[in-house]
Amino acid sequence: MTEYVIETKKLSVYYGQHLGILDVDLRIEKGEVFGFLGPNGAGKTTTQRVLMDVIRPTAGKASMFGKDCQKEGVAARDRVGYLPGELSLYDNLKVSQFFKMYFSLQKSNTDRRYWHTLAEQLDLDTSRKIRELSRGNKQKVGVVAAFMNKPDLLILDEPTSGLDPLVQQTVMELVLEANQAGSTVFFSSHILSEIQAVCDRVGIIREGQLVATERVEDMTRQQFKRLRINFTTMPPADAFTQEGVAEMVRDEQGVLLEIRENLDQVLKTAARFGITDIETIPVTLEEIFLAYYGKGNGGNHA
Amino acid sequence: MLRLLLQEIRFRRNAIIGWAIGLTFLPAIYVGIYPQFEKDLAGLGDILDLPIYQAMGMNFGTFEDWIASTVINIVPILVAIYAVLDGTGTLAGEEEAGKLELIVALPIPRWQIVTVKAIALGIALFLILLLVAITTTIVFLAIESQIKTNLVWTDILWGLLYTWPIVMAVGMISLFLGAFAPRRRTAALIGTVIVIVSYFGSTLSSQVSTLETIQPLFLFHYLDSTAGLFETGPRASDVLFLLGVALAAFIYAIIFFQRRDITVGAWPWQRAKKVPA
Repeated sequence: MTEYVIETKKLSVYYGQHLGILDVDLRIEKGEVFGFLGPNGAGKTTTQRVLMDVIRPTAGKASMFGKDCQKEGVAARDRVGYLPGELSLYDNLKVSQFFKMYFSLQKSNTDRRYWHTLAEQLDLDTSRKIRELSRGNKQKVGVVAAFMNKPDLLILDEPTSGLDPLVQQTVMELVLEANQAGSTVFFSSHILSEIQAVCDRVGIIREGQLVATERVEDMTRQQFKRLRINFTTMPPADAFTQEGVAEMVRDEQGVLLEIRENLDQVLKTAARFGITDIETIPVTLEEIFLAYYGKGNGGNHA
Repeated sequence: MLRLLLQEIRFRRNAIIGWAIGLTFLPAIYVGIYPQFEKDLAGLGDILDLPIYQAMGMNFGTFEDWIASTVINIVPILVAIYAVLDGTGTLAGEEEAGKLELIVALPIPRWQIVTVKAIALGIALFLILLLVAITTTIVFLAIESQIKTNLVWTDILWGLLYTWPIVMAVGMISLFLGAFAPRRRTAALIGTVIVIVSYFGSTLSSQVSTLETIQPLFLFHYLDSTAGLFETGPRASDVLFLLGVALAAFIYAIIFFQRRDITVGAWPWQRAKKVPA
């Protein structure tokens, strides 16, 4: 029987009458890097806060390492590194003082020097007061705090927010390093390319409900395909008008088609006009995501 | 946990020093000017018999009366204001500033977080009173030879430290309000109203016979700010009552903080109990 590092069952949070999340069923296995996608207010932060017992669910259950996040929260959180989305630190402390304090408050702390290594990797000056730091550098402090204890599970709410592209890259490398060392990672992000680059699976949350959970490659492969086909004789404008097929671009050489179904029929139709070239255009996670929200070309999931 | 406690005290360091320095001037001036005004104050007996002055607990007949009416009467009110600001700022304030989320997410039970903050607040209140008491005592020693009094320096020192239970009670009530109210501003407003109503309610109800029955409802009723304080010390029952209020408020702070949805900022009854149909 699979033991899930994170498991939620019918997890719901209401803020008074306002929906936070509804019936979220999430299972994340040991060693996975799981990306959580959704626009602002979709419920990503709420889900992560329930896991960290920052807020309590209205209904349903959440557990980490098989321990109930509310009833056994202390034991569950002992193996977790957490980076909140709205990070606010004790401004009057030096960075090094904050790290020492934060390290000492963790129960299973082992490598006392590891935060030095992380700070060096992120080019963070630990002798400065936190109040003197830029937003990006404060975010680095949060990243180091989350990783410093080499936790079994990392819960990161938009970890690269406010960071420049180079540091974003370093943070993603840290995520992969931690994952290779055995950590499970659950992180949300608006930067879909980074989720595509590092995640094994992705969950899409919309208006508080988990609408899809799939492996990244399956999601990008299964949702729709994009074919560029060049012809010896250009087909008429309505040649590919059929269920599940949309013509995106047409020029003098050929057409770009977005195909959700009837691929076989499309190829048969195309063959009648003499195919000179056929190319599969990779579909990005961003396009899938937009399709789920009905904003992409041909999106029909909204 | 010791490191968190030290950190909490460190966060209050500037406030302790600032409030202690600021408050020091008041008792130092009241004690320091007494030799110049001793005779004039004795002549104010008739005026001070007026109900308004009686209601404010004013009696300047002797040095003991003077110091009780001014220093012992006023310092706890001012320290209580600090207690309200600090107590409500500790949970509600840190939550609003976003600092609490990172601490709550650590593998520390919430009751321990409240306990550490409560201890730090108690220590801060004690240190402010201690610093004020020390400087007041020093000024007393400087003028002791010029005045007629039976007091010795330890009476002054203890007289101010005896006010710790009432400011601690206010501090713990404020801590509870910070765990209960949705925002710090609301908690601080309620806390301030409690202090003001309690102070004036106590003094007024002691002067109006029809209000005597409600006198025990006011916290400041349990603060002895008369010259008798220096002879017998505070009544044990008063101290126990105030510490009991502090303990009860602390327990309620734990209970409500335990149930609080951090970052949400809502009254306890606004929390959804079940998924709406």
